[in-house]
Amino acid sequence: MDDATYLLHRLGTSIIVLLGVSVVTYGLLFLTPGDPAEVILTQQLDRQPSASEVESFRATHGMDDPVPVQYVSWVTDVLRGDLGTSYYSDTAVSTLIVDALPLTIELAVASLLVALAIAIPTGVLSAVHRGSAIDYASQLGALVGVSMPNFWLGYLLILVFALTLGSLPVAGAGSYGQLVLPAITLGTGMAAVLTRLIRSSMLEVLDEAYVDTARSKGLRERIVLYKHALRNALVPVVTILGVQLGSLLNGAVVVEIVFQRPGLGMLLVDAVFERNYPVVQGITLVTAGIFVGTNVLVDLSYRYLDPRVELGGETV
Amino acid sequence: MQQPRKTASESTHSTPAFDTDDSNHTACTAESTTDLLTVEGLRVQFPSPDEPVRAVDGVSFGIADGEIVGLVGESGCGKSVTARSIIGLDPPEAAVRGSIELDGTDVTAASERQLRRLRGDTVSMVFQNSMETLNPVLDIGEQIAESTKVHDHPDSQRLLDYLHAPLFSSRADWHERREHAAELLDQVGIASPEERVDDYPHELSGGQIQRVAIALALASDPDLLIADEPTTAVDATTQAQLLDRFRHLNDTRGMALLLITHDLSVVAELCDRVVVMYAGQVVETGPAGRVLRDPSHPYTRALLNCLPQRVDRNERLPTIEGAVPDPTDDRSGCPFAPRCERATDDCRHGDVPTIDLGDGRGTATCYDVDDSRPAAPYNRPGITVTAGEDESDPTREPTTAAETPAAETPSSESTARSSTREKTRPESTADGDRQPLVELEGVTKRYATANGLIDRLFGATATRRAVADVDLEIRAGETLGLVGETGCGKTTLAELVTGLETPTAGEIRFGGDPVGGVESRSAETLADVGVVFQNPRSSLNPRLTVEQLVAEPLRSRGWSTGRRRERVRTVLDRVGLSEHRARSYPHELSGGQVQRVAIARAIAPDPTLIVLDEPVSALDVSVQARILNLLSELQAEFGLTYLLISHDLAVVEHVVDRVAVMSRGELVEIGPVDRVFDQPTHPYTKTLLASIPSLSPEETTGVRPSASDGVSSSLDRPTR
Repeated sequence: MDDATYLLHRLGTSIIVLLGVSVVTYGLLFLTPGDPAEVILTQQLDRQPSASEVESFRATHGMDDPVPVQYVSWVTDVLRGDLGTSYYSDTAVSTLIVDALPLTIELAVASLLVALAIAIPTGVLSAVHRGSAIDYASQLGALVGVSMPNFWLGYLLILVFALTLGSLPVAGAGSYGQLVLPAITLGTGMAAVLTRLIRSSMLEVLDEAYVDTARSKGLRERIVLYKHALRNALVPVVTILGVQLGSLLNGAVVVEIVFQRPGLGMLLVDAVFERNYPVVQGITLVTAGIFVGTNVLVDLSYRYLDPRVELGGETV
Repeated sequence: MQQPRKTASESTHSTPAFDTDDSNHTACTAESTTDLLTVEGLRVQFPSPDEPVRAVDGVSFGIADGEIVGLVGESGCGKSVTARSIIGLDPPEAAVRGSIELDGTDVTAASERQLRRLRGDTVSMVFQNSMETLNPVLDIGEQIAESTKVHDHPDSQRLLDYLHAPLFSSRADWHERREHAAELLDQVGIASPEERVDDYPHELSGGQIQRVAIALALASDPDLLIADEPTTAVDATTQAQLLDRFRHLNDTRGMALLLITHDLSVVAELCDRVVVMYAGQVVETGPAGRVLRDPSHPYTRALLNCLPQRVDRNERLPTIEGAVPDPTDDRSGCPFAPRCERATDDCRHGDVPTIDLGDGRGTATCYDVDDSRPAAPYNRPGITVTAGEDESDPTREPTTAAETPAAETPSSESTARSSTREKTRPESTADGDRQPLVELEGVTKRYATANGLIDRLFGATATRRAVADVDLEIRAGETLGLVGETGCGKTTLAELVTGLETPTAGEIRFGGDPVGGVESRSAETLADVGVVFQNPRSSLNPRLTVEQLVAEPLRSRGWSTGRRRERVRTVLDRVGLSEHRARSYPHELSGGQVQRVAIARAIAPDPTLIVLDEPVSALDVSVQARILNLLSELQAEFGLTYLLISHDLAVVEHVVDRVAVMSRGELVEIGPVDRVFDQPTHPYTKTLLASIPSLSPEETTGVRPSASDGVSSSLDRPTR
């Protein structure tokens, strides 16, 4: 399959996935008990709204139509690029997302870098010195890293670095200093998973004959490890990386709350509490889109990593 | 390209000497210090839960500049471990003792830096299974370019440069090296090398891969090339070309070659000198011609006797009873003593002297070397393993076989039973009278090469013809050989017969009735065909025991538990596997035993036809001989019909009645094996037959067109 066909094919399946995601979230929101109009107005007005107020709110936001009709009109709007308007601020949902998204992406990328910076050398070292003290230490570290909840690590880091040592800002966003602690918090769990994966993948690869061939050329061990072995070992790692992205976005929600970063996660949590359905819908859709898109990129990267991979395999 | 080495020292011909003072096996020390490689008293041990495994146990030999030395012996004898030690690639857990002097540096004591220099400059290695020795994610050009770069700058290797990081890496330099890589590919005989440079290993054929592996090794212009079984996995014509290439490199570059092989005909074709290893020790050394013509050590003799080319077609092949001793045994004496008929008490205890045979004829580590032996080297009375003897004395028990868990179980019973068997092979002329068991008529198999949806929508139907319009009949009770180069359609044809593939056109008939693929065949037809796949180790489920593996085809045919158990026991006994093996898993068995399991599984449902796809290609000659004997016994006993696929023409000549030659999916010639091999009619058959290396030492000694031209005269090749 050539690239264009493959991408077209992936685009088609992505649209189906996104439709599914939107149906499910839409359905779930309307299944939650209570009249959203009443809840929203109560919060907005800080008192019990009158019947006429509720009615006019429902009318403005198209809530009187049956749910399927509402859904279809929402989808039609989305296809026109309109994600709707926030119930509270009359700001377009797309504007809210565009404002918050960079902060989340910044956090995700930073924590991914942290994770890789920890995991690659540790995993490789661990595999090379299999059964040694280094190996056991790194495996223990990985176990701790996997087991530690994000929010707990976040508060711990704040306690140590921000409050006690005072070397880094506690919360907020905007400067690189404010990115350090959240990125470490979010990156640690992922680093732990990746370390174990890289270790086992490297152990397998180091037994391969081509590693000996590389050594027999007279290459330095570092080049043998990081050029010949690691690239082969990364193929399964990248697969997991794509899946891990989901947990990275999950984690971002928690970490953004802990560090008070006004990113997508914080926006989402606020919207859920306020029953700000258009915002919840919009964020879910965008996040799902990012997830699907990254996994297409991951699939494409296989071919760069492993030339034996044929895109799409044999099934179409 | 460098000029050939100009270090023309005087005689570097290493005359190994017998040193009575030296108590261990380090006796055949090369006298000359100008040798390119001197291995002395090399011992390599691997830790194991009990005793350490003595993989190499006191090996000494030397290689002079420009010399071609063959290192032969069966698998597990320490050949590859020795080779890896020479290039300093022992696994970290190995304990290496002794010395390996390579171009003046002791490899065993060398620093990482020294090792890198040696590997980048002096020695290169072509590993076994070259399919796996190339990095699958780097293209060919890159892999070769790296080698030349290391060769030029062994001490300044920067990771970022090798990773082609911008700013840290010179694009022009790498580009130039890729162009040079194409030249190297051209030298090893790869067509359109400029395009192949950009290919990845999986895009090349097995023969091409082997050539690339050699090009890779040559990229650093080594003085010594170690090649571990370089031609084992390739077909006869490719092998002939590769051997020719080696000889050419040796002539033009003066490159010394250490050729590790179990194929003695390759040794005869190429080597100046041979080192025979057995159980981690050197048992015999000497000029190739002498060793092959007049072997001194009983093991060398036995090994030569196992070759099918040496035995008449209707004879059983001689075998070596017993097995290579367990390398963990704390042994003394000659390791071959348990399998040697002439062994005395002296052989079993203490150290056996290495005796210089004189006149530059080499050495043998054996008491039994006596020069007054009669001239006829083979079938000499007193050798453990001649066919005539087995038959004249069927009651003789084989000598004490090593009782090692991983060892080949001697099928003493079957040997005795079959030794008096007359091979019921009819004269070739009578073949026409036999009933055809399987008939193929106009059978064609095409594979689609374009399989995408879009391709199909637009009607692009690119296909590859694997088998083209083949008419063939397999007659009841015969052995039909199927030969041809890799990719000629042999295996596809076999899959069509077994029903694993269905023909695109044409018809296959069993006993006159047309049959389709596996899914449309009746249970009876299925039970009628047994298959022994190429590479039994990977075709048997590693998680099943031997018993389960053999019973599996029976269960799927609805046999009851009791009947199954009974049948499995009978069949295992018949193929010479003892009962306690039934609960073993494939990885606990030796190569020969695994092949026996595969055969047992094939014959269990009592088929009439067995398809044998390269049944012995992965086995050592002595094990190969046993398996071939077993196959012919089974054929006589159960009246089996064989379809044998093999690239080993010597094996084919020995066992088949008729031979079918395939080329590019077509059947180009078929006839009685004697006729086809003696008077081939098709030009392709002639080419194929011409590529068989000759084992006859007379034809190879001294005839090599080497030391006559100007280039090699500047080299210190030993002349003999």
